[in-house]
Amino acid sequence: MLKEVTSQEFKEMYQDGVVVADFFSTTCGPCKMLSFVLADVDKTLGDKVKILKVDFDKNKDLTDEYKVVGYPTLIFMKDGVEVKRLQGLQQKPLIIKTIEEQL
Amino acid sequence: MTEQIKYTKIEHIILQQNRAEKEMLAEFENGDYTIENPLVKYNAYLINPLSAVVLFKTDKEVAVTVRVIGKTPAATISHTFPKAKTHILPVLGLYSDYENTVEIEAYRGKKTTLKINVPDVFNGKKIIDYMQTTPEYLEDNIIVVSPAGQDLSTGFDFAGDARWHLTIPCVFDLKRLKNGNLIIGTDRLLKMSYYMSGLYEMSLVGKIYKEYRVPGGYHHDSFELPNGNLLSLTEDLRSDTVEDMCVEIDRQTGEVVKTWDYKNFLNPAKVSHSGSWTDEDWFHNNAVWYDENTNSLTFSGRHIDAMVNIDYETGELNWIIGDPEGWPEEYQKYFFKPIGNNFEWQYEQHACLITPDGDVMCFDNHHFGSKNPDKFAKASESYSRGVRYHINTEEMTIEQVWQYGKDRGAEFFSPYICNVEFYNQGHYLVHSGGIAYDKDGNPSEALGPFAIQAGGSINSITVEICNNTKMLELKVPGNYYRAEKLTLYTDGINLEMGDGQILGYINDSREMDTEVPAEACGELMPEFCNAHIEDEYDKFTFLSRFVKGDLVLLQLEKGDEIHRYYISTTSRPATAMCVGTFLDTDDRNTRTVISKTGLSGTYDVRVIINDKKYETGVQITC
Repeated sequence: MLKEVTSQEFKEMYQDGVVVADFFSTTCGPCKMLSFVLADVDKTLGDKVKILKVDFDKNKDLTDEYKVVGYPTLIFMKDGVEVKRLQGLQQKPLIIKTIEEQL
Repeated sequence: MTEQIKYTKIEHIILQQNRAEKEMLAEFENGDYTIENPLVKYNAYLINPLSAVVLFKTDKEVAVTVRVIGKTPAATISHTFPKAKTHILPVLGLYSDYENTVEIEAYRGKKTTLKINVPDVFNGKKIIDYMQTTPEYLEDNIIVVSPAGQDLSTGFDFAGDARWHLTIPCVFDLKRLKNGNLIIGTDRLLKMSYYMSGLYEMSLVGKIYKEYRVPGGYHHDSFELPNGNLLSLTEDLRSDTVEDMCVEIDRQTGEVVKTWDYKNFLNPAKVSHSGSWTDEDWFHNNAVWYDENTNSLTFSGRHIDAMVNIDYETGELNWIIGDPEGWPEEYQKYFFKPIGNNFEWQYEQHACLITPDGDVMCFDNHHFGSKNPDKFAKASESYSRGVRYHINTEEMTIEQVWQYGKDRGAEFFSPYICNVEFYNQGHYLVHSGGIAYDKDGNPSEALGPFAIQAGGSINSITVEICNNTKMLELKVPGNYYRAEKLTLYTDGINLEMGDGQILGYINDSREMDTEVPAEACGELMPEFCNAHIEDEYDKFTFLSRFVKGDLVLLQLEKGDEIHRYYISTTSRPATAMCVGTFLDTDDRNTRTVISKTGLSGTYDVRVIINDKKYETGVQITC
């Protein structure tokens, strides 16, 4: 499942299961590419993972809370706890491998 | 309307040199050249404009001396070549912007005086601030500085005159091999920002005998092993990390015969970070040294503030020199305990070396000067130094036995690059090549290439110390990666005829495996992009300008076969930029290198910009 969320929606959804939070900006090339990669990941993994896209510029409270300093930043979570963080554009195999380590 | 973006075919410099040499030899064989009337080929190998080759025959075997007359008697550079009937002699040490006088003198025989006019090869650019030394000290050596920016390799004599220069950007380290040749990074970029295709072995006259292509590219440093093989720092182009591998290259075949992946002896997730650390560049390997006494390799890792020693055969970790703060318990046994007075750890060091008696030296950039971000030193409060440590690997103690540079403070502070050289006990070179000031003249927090972009200034200071007395100081504008002291001629072979060779291979470039939907508009790329393709036989470079934040993919298409290469249009803050030679002053300009390895046939080059796919009109044949 892949969805762009607000802070409120994020807080309602991040605590169960494996979640990938994608902090992105609409003005960032790597973020645009990553959105296609994540769509591809979503197609492959389906409901095994929740991919929550967080607009860096519109959700300052979340970026502060998670100390996100740049975009794109992927935060991998298991039951609400951060387990891994990747900065910059990532390829599909690494993202899937990181998710599968948490499943 | 043009139907193609700009396209340039670039011939490898070795192939250009092979052709130039053949033409030179043909002219020589077709003429009657004697010592009184030799054939003179200025800049015969196209890349050293302060050199020439003279060719002539003598009736009898005779030794010949070549002499470039100095601007003062002490500055004359001469060399006597072994006896022969056919003489093909490099003339080294010509002056720029000068009518040079060159004497060719047979052993107890005839002397011919030639005039070789050399243009201003520096185009009026100031290349030196000062050289402070004596002819008695430096003799016929030159101090060569190698590029870290736009300024190219140049060698200076005792008077501060340039006597050696390369016109191609061979970056990073430059070392003299046992056979007298130089080993130096190639000028062929494999991946931004500074990963090069490999190493050139060349003579001082500029003839490149071999390009040793390194599959994952070359960066920072190389080392000649006792068996003649070469160590090259490298990386895995398909990995998520950089600058964390070393390979041994067979000197004859160019094949990789041994590989060390640093992730096998250090866990990137557990190492202690320097102030410049990033996920991707977790080690930042800037030097390698082989120690025959212990059959071990020492790697300098800028981003872990440490020099790491491993066993050459097994790759097992032996010891780590660095501040142990922040390293987990499992690594603590590899660290040393300081003893003695005035001890300080090094931070973000470069150019580790092992002295003949087992001490460890490096250029301690002392960037940030701490493991603790709260205590990071500002540039204005910082210093750099050459430092020598005595280590006891039985008792795991370390003692600082020498340093130079700390007292000079920020004036000698380089947050990146630089080196030290050991000549003998008490006799060292210390090169602070990354000094930078901001536009207001204050020590710059930004590294040299970025300080320049922001209107600042940069320089390098090289000193030689003998028994705590400064014997030489060279100051040049520009940042230079390393400095080395060399003689122009060697006692061995100074120039050999025959085709240069291109050995080894480069790995394929990293592709994106995700398809981006885009409308094929059939239009040529927008003029704004100013797109250009430079095509070489084993790779090509795509240069283009984009609007920041654009989504850009370069695609190679052949029927259903599509290869996708992502081009970042978002500048990222760089914590390391050891060579800024290939940076553009306009950060909207991108430079993407695609290796032809793994590709076969002819491909159309197309470019996706956001949701449109454009034509380039260029086909690449692999």
